[in-house]
Amino acid sequence: MKYKDYYATLGVPRDADSEQIKKAYRKLARQHHPDVSKAPEAEARFKEAGEAYATLKDPEKRAAYDQLGRRPAGEEFSPPPQWSHDFANDQAFEGVDLADLLAAMGRGRGPSRGPVPLKGRDYETGVRIPLEDAHRGATVSLELADGEGGRTLEVTIPPGTTDGQKLRLRGKGGKGHNGGADGDIYLHITLAPHPVFRVDHHDLHFNLALAPWEAALGAEVEVPTLDGPVMLTVPPGTRSGRKLRLRGRGMANGRDGRGDLYAIVHIDVPATLSERERELFKELATASHFNPRARSDKEKSHGTATA
Amino acid sequence: MEQQLLDVAWLDAREVIPLAELAQICALSPAELDELVDYGVLVPVEKAPQERLFSAECVMPLRAAGKLRQDFDLDLFTVGLLLGYLNRIEALERQVRTLKARLPA
Repeated sequence: MKYKDYYATLGVPRDADSEQIKKAYRKLARQHHPDVSKAPEAEARFKEAGEAYATLKDPEKRAAYDQLGRRPAGEEFSPPPQWSHDFANDQAFEGVDLADLLAAMGRGRGPSRGPVPLKGRDYETGVRIPLEDAHRGATVSLELADGEGGRTLEVTIPPGTTDGQKLRLRGKGGKGHNGGADGDIYLHITLAPHPVFRVDHHDLHFNLALAPWEAALGAEVEVPTLDGPVMLTVPPGTRSGRKLRLRGRGMANGRDGRGDLYAIVHIDVPATLSERERELFKELATASHFNPRARSDKEKSHGTATA
Repeated sequence: MEQQLLDVAWLDAREVIPLAELAQICALSPAELDELVDYGVLVPVEKAPQERLFSAECVMPLRAAGKLRQDFDLDLFTVGLLLGYLNRIEALERQVRTLKARLPA
């Protein structure tokens, strides 16, 4: 068994009190935490600090560790024979890591208790799927770093998922030991950006460009939906920014229902005008008394209409 | 295929989870969850007279707070504070997604 110098790992003297040990650990944990540091050795340093702290914060484990005396880190040594009885269920120490041995203290110690059930490992992973797959349901392959070489798991995502949705796949994680339950997989689903639709929970939004005369006079226009194009009635006097709702044309919500689809109107104008178009616009400008800047705040507010 | 569908649980407001199961998957004891309820950061759903039920929405923030507790050896009160902030981040992220969807591209 290889000796590990936990005091050196935390950078504290051997007579450090519990507050010093905690402070040193937190400083290292903050420095090397995987959420904070992206350095390649950060995770290993974080685990080393965690292992050292797990022993040194516990008076019983620390006392047992101190019995080993001071040695150079990495030196091969044999633990006191009593440890075999106390911490290892009278098993030999061969192939046992010092950290595992110390971790065994306080749980399942002694031959009478027998092995302790251990829950399998949980996994948290993410997957990005197209919007259509979220709507209809899809099967995705998850690569899990499970044991040697990892494994691939096919998972069926039910219809009704939306952006940011989390799913729990019960019992699909690592295998439990000694009768412990299998672990779970926590799957964080994000939706790939869609060229047309933007997702708001189970509702969808898209931009509907209208010509000035379509917005002023009203029109029947073809619009995209997840089920294919449909005709939408644009009411006369539709202003830019107005939302036209197509009820029940959004995403499946997983409860036999669907969200809504919103067409957000914006009015476009021709970049270049033909001679005739220019004449007509000039005539309109002369004939019309409409001044968009003279409207009251109330009139300017954008309403939502149901198509 | 059918079996896999049965094993999937939505972790959102549509599902509820009993206290014992929540404690087990978030590496906290039922007594610790009770304490978080006392602090007001964890709120059971109503209409659950016998067994205390929680919205499955709280699973991921609670797991994250529990993990940070382990990683930094935090006390339970700090876990409660963290949970409040994690819930707030989640709500703000949801709001950002909604606003982005409603903004004309």
